[in-house]
Amino acid sequence: MLQITNLHATVADKPILNGLTLTVPAGEVHAIMGPNGAGKSTLAYVLGGRPGYEVTDGSATFMGEDLLAQEPHERAAAGLFLGFQYPVEIPGVSSMQFIRESLNAQRRARGEAELSGAEFIRLARAEATELGMDVEMLKRPVNVGFSGGEKKRAEMVQMGIMRPRFAVLDETDSGLDIDALRIVGAGINRIMRAPDRGALLITHYQRLLEVARPDKVHVLAEGRIVRSGGPELAVELEREGYTELA
Amino acid sequence: MNQEIALKNREAHEAAEKLATYEWGFTSDIESEFAPKGLSEDTVRFISAKKGEPEWLLQWRLKGYRAWLEMEEVDWAKLHIPAIDYQDSYYYAEPKKRPTLASLDELDPEIRRTYEKLGIPIEEQKVLAGVEGARKVAVDAVFDSVSVATTFREELERAGVIFRSISEAVKEYPDLVRKYLGSVVPQRDNFFACLNSAVFSDGTFVYIPEGVRCPMELSTYFRINAENTGQFERTLIVADKGSYVSYLEGCTAPMRDENQLHAAVVEIFAHEDAEVKYSTVQNWYPGDAEGRGGIYNFVTKRAMCSGARSKVSWTQVETGSAITWKYPSCILKGEGSVGEFYSVALTNNRQQADTGTKMVHIGANTRSTIVSKGISAGRSDNTYRGLVKVLPGAENVRNFTQCDSLLLGDQCGSHTVPYIEVKNPTATIEHEATTSKISEDQLFYAMARGLDQEAAVALIVNGFAREVLKQLPMEFAVEAQKLLGISLEGSVG
Amino acid sequence: MTAPFPTRKAEAWRYADLDALKSVWDELPGAETITLAKGEARQQVWIGDGSPVGVRTVQVELAAGASIDIFALNTAPQYGRVELDVAMHEGAHFALHAANIGGGKATQEIVTAVRHLEPNGTSRQTVRSVLAGTATGSYLGKVAVARHAQKTDGEQSVKAMLLDRGATANCKPELEIYADDVKCAHGASVGELDPDQLFYALSRGLDPASAKALLLEGFVLQLWDEVADEAQREALIEASRAALRSVVA
Repeated sequence: MLQITNLHATVADKPILNGLTLTVPAGEVHAIMGPNGAGKSTLAYVLGGRPGYEVTDGSATFMGEDLLAQEPHERAAAGLFLGFQYPVEIPGVSSMQFIRESLNAQRRARGEAELSGAEFIRLARAEATELGMDVEMLKRPVNVGFSGGEKKRAEMVQMGIMRPRFAVLDETDSGLDIDALRIVGAGINRIMRAPDRGALLITHYQRLLEVARPDKVHVLAEGRIVRSGGPELAVELEREGYTELA
Repeated sequence: MNQEIALKNREAHEAAEKLATYEWGFTSDIESEFAPKGLSEDTVRFISAKKGEPEWLLQWRLKGYRAWLEMEEVDWAKLHIPAIDYQDSYYYAEPKKRPTLASLDELDPEIRRTYEKLGIPIEEQKVLAGVEGARKVAVDAVFDSVSVATTFREELERAGVIFRSISEAVKEYPDLVRKYLGSVVPQRDNFFACLNSAVFSDGTFVYIPEGVRCPMELSTYFRINAENTGQFERTLIVADKGSYVSYLEGCTAPMRDENQLHAAVVEIFAHEDAEVKYSTVQNWYPGDAEGRGGIYNFVTKRAMCSGARSKVSWTQVETGSAITWKYPSCILKGEGSVGEFYSVALTNNRQQADTGTKMVHIGANTRSTIVSKGISAGRSDNTYRGLVKVLPGAENVRNFTQCDSLLLGDQCGSHTVPYIEVKNPTATIEHEATTSKISEDQLFYAMARGLDQEAAVALIVNGFAREVLKQLPMEFAVEAQKLLGISLEGSVG
Repeated sequence: MTAPFPTRKAEAWRYADLDALKSVWDELPGAETITLAKGEARQQVWIGDGSPVGVRTVQVELAAGASIDIFALNTAPQYGRVELDVAMHEGAHFALHAANIGGGKATQEIVTAVRHLEPNGTSRQTVRSVLAGTATGSYLGKVAVARHAQKTDGEQSVKAMLLDRGATANCKPELEIYADDVKCAHGASVGELDPDQLFYALSRGLDPASAKALLLEGFVLQLWDEVADEAQREALIEASRAALRSVVA
């Protein structure tokens, strides 16, 4: 589903990714772990197409299409969802409006019918409830005045409403207490665990992985994958740290 | 006879009392040689001849004078400036004897005492006292218009630094002076700068050669001394590629009953990667409690950040003068150049200040920071006036402005007049301003800990101004802190 | 108008389009006046009528305890000016919510003098400008606090968004304060759309033009939140959206 080959990327002319290769087949959830500065967030932003993150070599395809050639909004329409480590605040724009306009833009691009206001509200209410979020919060401006945990939960609500084919979740677990972590982990399983979907969880800690059991765990260090294994690798990393691996 | 003695005693008492209300007021009696009273082409020629200037400089002065005749006095500031009779002034005076000194020991004891009363910073006093290992500060005293003492010249010369009175520099380095004089502040820039260009008396010239970090802080003390002598200082600092200099300017002035006009011009030219830090503590005589006397300080200070990554930082503590009109500015032309303005302006009694800065962003990636702290007390008026301008070609400009005012008492005024003019969408400009008074809680808290009211006020005011004071070199910061306290005496309660 | 024609030397006209002003000067009516009696409260909504040049000069007098909220949308395609002089007595409240939305060669300005003459008044001025093409949008706002007008609370918040090379934003949030126990603050910022916000919106699937429009709506429409009359609020929202669409296009 997602195939990354020999990816090199720079930020402000500084090389961050140095030949990263990774394949996530449909129906699988993978995790990427690694020390600070390994390039985890850079990978997420490169896949999302953030300006300033320049690919200097290698390729990434998503469902057979060249991902890197697409604009950020085209990637979203193709079914890629980027869960931000630091979800952005947008004063003056309500979450409801923001998510609905985004979703309908995606649907238009895919040639699908737009959701009516009533349909959308039903969907949003259902997802918010599933993820333990007061639906009133969606009437407030996007992420404004939300705590760190609330922002992460709101990202999951957006993911639930948009139902992407593939999610790249950048440290979605940071800032969550243990109860929230369980809810979010269960949400990832519910939304992304399907034969035609997939996800890449970027995280520091094993905690989230205990709930959202990944099929594979990869270790990212100095801009490339240095080790891959099953879920047991995450436990080992938690115990041993990263120093031995790089 | 007895009557005469009584009269003399009364005069003495009155004089002493006056001195007590202006702590650093004093006079010295070095004989002056005056230019003829009034202003004409002849005055300009007299000054130029007296200083033995080359023809090009005389012509430059005359051009300035002719331009000035057609200009109008500045009237846009929030100031009430009494009409100035430019013909009722002397435009030149110099001490008759011009000592040439091998060392400071040979300095006129009168001038030495003057230094002491000026409260020259501790580090400097150590240097003057010959303390081994003392941090070096070069002092160029502009004493009644003409430089009479320059120290540490040798050490500076070894580093290649030129530090001269501008009259000397005109003779010794005519090409350098000619190249840069008026290049940052054109003659016709404004009424007062134009007047200065015609009649400037003396001032300082500094040149830091390529790659040189000036080995000491350069310091100039200004004095106004002779009766009715307008002061027209001219300072020119040129920092060549990759050089660094920190320049300190401090001044206090003797008591005067008549208003004195001070229209200085300071030009700074910074080449690629050069950095200039210009610090001022200004304590000209502010006039008496009723606003009589006091200096009119109408100064034009501007820096041209011409080279890429050049940086000019203005720091000022303004507590003196009856009227202050002053906007140290930066033209940010070189790519990535940086301008900074840190200011504390304190007004008390009947003082008026209209001061601030202009940051003109021309080059890409230029940055500026403005931090202004205004303190008004008594019946004074204190205005911050600033311009941040971003030209169309200036990409990715950043400016941050913080502008805070503190009012002490309900008879003063505090004003903020910022202009923001942006013509490039990539600019990020942020401006914040607040106005407050000293909180009763703060005051009570400090007094409950044992400070008397004046000490408590001084403490809080210094806290308010801290962000700016910390930009000053250490010895200057100490002096400035004291000055803020002294300037506020009697303003609360 | 019988008053002498202004020059740029006059502070209040320093950014004005005087040529455009000249074209309407003779037909300009004198200043409108709004006088609110003691304790009276009112909301006032102004939307440009679409004519190329529009100049509105208003003198507002607020008696003790009176309160006014003015909502002004300035979208004149050539020259639009809203000028207010507000005299405030004891405990009066004044709020201005205003937007300049201009493209092409438009010059738009909001000019205010809010005079707190007596104690306990509050004033809030919120101005948002969105400028495209070679348009110029200005705010010249003054809060003046008279001697003894203690406990005055005055705020100015000015933000401008420049969409194109060639557009200009000017602002001058001025304070003139003669009383010590006051709270007066202003904030001003000028910039372009926040790239982080833009990327976030794009990553959710909005195309660049829609993402921009959405963010700009967020920037402007907040101004109209407090309009009590629903029809008027809708009219302001619709007119703002239309103006934004035309400048983004």
